Amino acid sequence: MIKWWKILAALLILYTLVWGMLGPVPQLNILHETIRNLFYHVPIWFAMLFQMGYSVIFAIKQLSKNDLQSDIISNQAAQTGLFFALPGLLTGCMWAKFTWGTWWTFQDPKLNGVAIAVLIYLAYFILRSSIDDEQKRARIAAVYNVFAFVMMFVFIMILPRLTDSLHPGNGGNPAFGKYDLDSNMRLVFYPAVIGWVLLSLWILDVKKRLAILTHKENEQ
Amino acid sequence: MQNNQLVNLINKEFVLEFRQKSTLAGILVYIVATVFISALSFKKIIHPTVWNALFWTIFMFISVNVSSKSFMQETKGKGLYNYLYYNPRTFILSKIMYNMMLMAVLSILTFFFYSWFVGSMVQDMGMFLLALVFSSSAFSGILSLMSAIASKANNNISLMAILSFPVLMPLLLVSVKLSKHAIDGLAWSVSYKYLLILIMLNFVVVALATLLFNYLWKE
Amino acid sequence: MNNRIIIFLTSLLLPFFVKAQEAAGVEMADAFRSEGKIYVVITVISIIFICLIGYLVYIDMKLRKLENKNRNTN
Repeated sequence: MIKWWKILAALLILYTLVWGMLGPVPQLNILHETIRNLFYHVPIWFAMLFQMGYSVIFAIKQLSKNDLQSDIISNQAAQTGLFFALPGLLTGCMWAKFTWGTWWTFQDPKLNGVAIAVLIYLAYFILRSSIDDEQKRARIAAVYNVFAFVMMFVFIMILPRLTDSLHPGNGGNPAFGKYDLDSNMRLVFYPAVIGWVLLSLWILDVKKRLAILTHKENEQ
Repeated sequence: MQNNQLVNLINKEFVLEFRQKSTLAGILVYIVATVFISALSFKKIIHPTVWNALFWTIFMFISVNVSSKSFMQETKGKGLYNYLYYNPRTFILSKIMYNMMLMAVLSILTFFFYSWFVGSMVQDMGMFLLALVFSSSAFSGILSLMSAIASKANNNISLMAILSFPVLMPLLLVSVKLSKHAIDGLAWSVSYKYLLILIMLNFVVVALATLLFNYLWKE
Repeated sequence: MNNRIIIFLTSLLLPFFVKAQEAAGVEMADAFRSEGKIYVVITVISIIFICLIGYLVYIDMKLRKLENKNRNTN
């Protein structure tokens, strides 16, 4: 009936919803209870990155095999990734407002990276909408996808280096990345990441099937 | 044989450029005009950060403008001839190298006019020029590929700008950082890693562009 | 949309119990949340999530039906 991994996704997320709120967490200043946001805000970003990576893989597949199926998957994955970026951004702004005191800042490299990623994929969709011929659109969009993803990835790799010189030490501020996860939190965090990634795959699966069906109908 | 073709193609680009002096002159006028307007609006730039930011903004617009012309000139007939005669790798390499040389010259010209009108705040000229040259080559590499993409998609100039800006931003950030170090006159050891990143970006961009152009070519 | 209004209203209730808080170490929500208010929150978000999953399953089923119909007519 429903595939096993979809059920697993739902169960994992339900578990993190319940235990994430009840379970013990380290008591840090500034963050207080909002550290639980880690279980919800961060996995959404992981899901988005996963979707973008998926999109690139299928873009490469499209270029090498030249079948429209890969292009449909690549497109839908990019859409799903962008869809996950929205709650990621909103929850990030909420969290920032209560812990950092501001909705947004241009100094944090992660926020810059996210903004650029969103702009890149918006440009990708604009490019797709400006070409009519299917084969051509698939190819050109795939080229842009690969190029843009590599540039974005290089940038995200540069970020850690830049943060070495920009932000010498971030105290206990978690949104800046690497800090020691309490082992209790790991119990909820890792399942949360897996659960949300699987959920994003479920959403992708549904979108992909719908797109393929519509495509077949348009052909007839 | 391929190297010969490469040199020939680059020569062809130069010849075309000088034959149609209008494009070159147009770009020069664009540079002078933008710098002039900025100089008028900012009566006196005191803060180096502002100087830096303004310079790179002007540079970005100029580079997008320049690169958009390179591929837009290809007509259908020329396109067919190019396809049959030239290896795609040679073709894109020639375009990129030509654009790089053009951008390097134009960037130095921009800097010259900028310091003439607004005043130069650069303390470490050597590092600044290095940053300028490497940035402009990376810019031109990215923009060449973007204009190739845009030319296949109905030759829309605004589309090219939309496509290029997000992809250029990481490059812009690194360039701004590096040139800020040069303006402040910091020691080379501090800026070293940014310079390395810039050079690496150049390689990545050119490698990607040559790889991907094959797929754009088949039209 | 209704669910969001419900959770918003519920979350508005929670600050009323802050008066019972003591300044022991870093202020966490343990003192007043564990009295049972937290379970309200958990129930609410679980309900929301289950409804969303239910909707996803419904769409999934509908798609499957369409796909099978398509496969049969081809």
